[in-house]
Amino acid sequence: MAGTIVADTLTHSTAGSIATNYVVEGSAKAWFSMNEATPVFNDSFNFTSITDNATGDKTVSFTSSMGNANYSVSQSNANSGTDYTRGTGGAYDHTVSASSYRYYSCGGSSASSNGYLRDDTRMKQIYIGDLA
Amino acid sequence: MTTTPDFKGTHLFDRLCWAKENLDGVQSDYRVVYEDSVDECAKILVPDPNWMACALQGGILPPVWVYHELAKDEAQPDFKKHTRGYLLHTTEPMPAMTEEQAIEYLIMKDVPQHVWTDWNSGNKPKMVICRKEQLPSTREWRNAWKIADDITATDIAA
Repeated sequence: MAGTIVADTLTHSTAGSIATNYVVEGSAKAWFSMNEATPVFNDSFNFTSITDNATGDKTVSFTSSMGNANYSVSQSNANSGTDYTRGTGGAYDHTVSASSYRYYSCGGSSASSNGYLRDDTRMKQIYIGDLA
Repeated sequence: MTTTPDFKGTHLFDRLCWAKENLDGVQSDYRVVYEDSVDECAKILVPDPNWMACALQGGILPPVWVYHELAKDEAQPDFKKHTRGYLLHTTEPMPAMTEEQAIEYLIMKDVPQHVWTDWNSGNKPKMVICRKEQLPSTREWRNAWKIADDITATDIAA
């Protein structure tokens, strides 16, 4: 393919060397920024669709599938209004497969209330792992 | 119009990188509403704009049967990791699709198979393709949303 450099190692003149598989295996394979309340992707890479399953319950499906379900997901999420001050929010797995990732978005608990599922206006995730 | 390079044999991830650099996202107004369990509310599938751009462009996405083959592999009890991922990368890419064809492809990829193969067998359709303005304008009572009981396949065709 035009523009391709085949190399196993990159070497800097003074800083040392790094194997290119660090780059290949350590790069994000998918990412998105989403408004879950709409829901639409603001921007994304390597997804075919969002499925809005319910409040705080979404599935995203990959275009280039992962090698298995043992990939890692990192995310940040926030909601507008009073939710900013209500404990620590988060997201956790519902169903993980090589082709899609279903997760819950949660508002945190506070001294007077339990955590709860919510649609985050600013949900951002990155996926790292092996591609199929 | 941007011409797609000859991508046969090119890793799908590399094709998506090319598309991200060269194609503008296409925000579809189509939504797929479906019910895959009587105990759960209706689900709504929303196409990804970058994926839709790839579908309309042609020469980038693999045929949908490739995903079905990978799903079969993953359903095996001894599955550890994909060994037929090459199907994504070496199978002749799909030609350009219309937006409607792309939605059909997406249904066959991302909606459970038991829904789309049997979408009109019960008392009412289990799946409806609509435009986003036909959905409720707010998310009030989101977890109680259902496909209307009185909708028919004739209504959908109209």
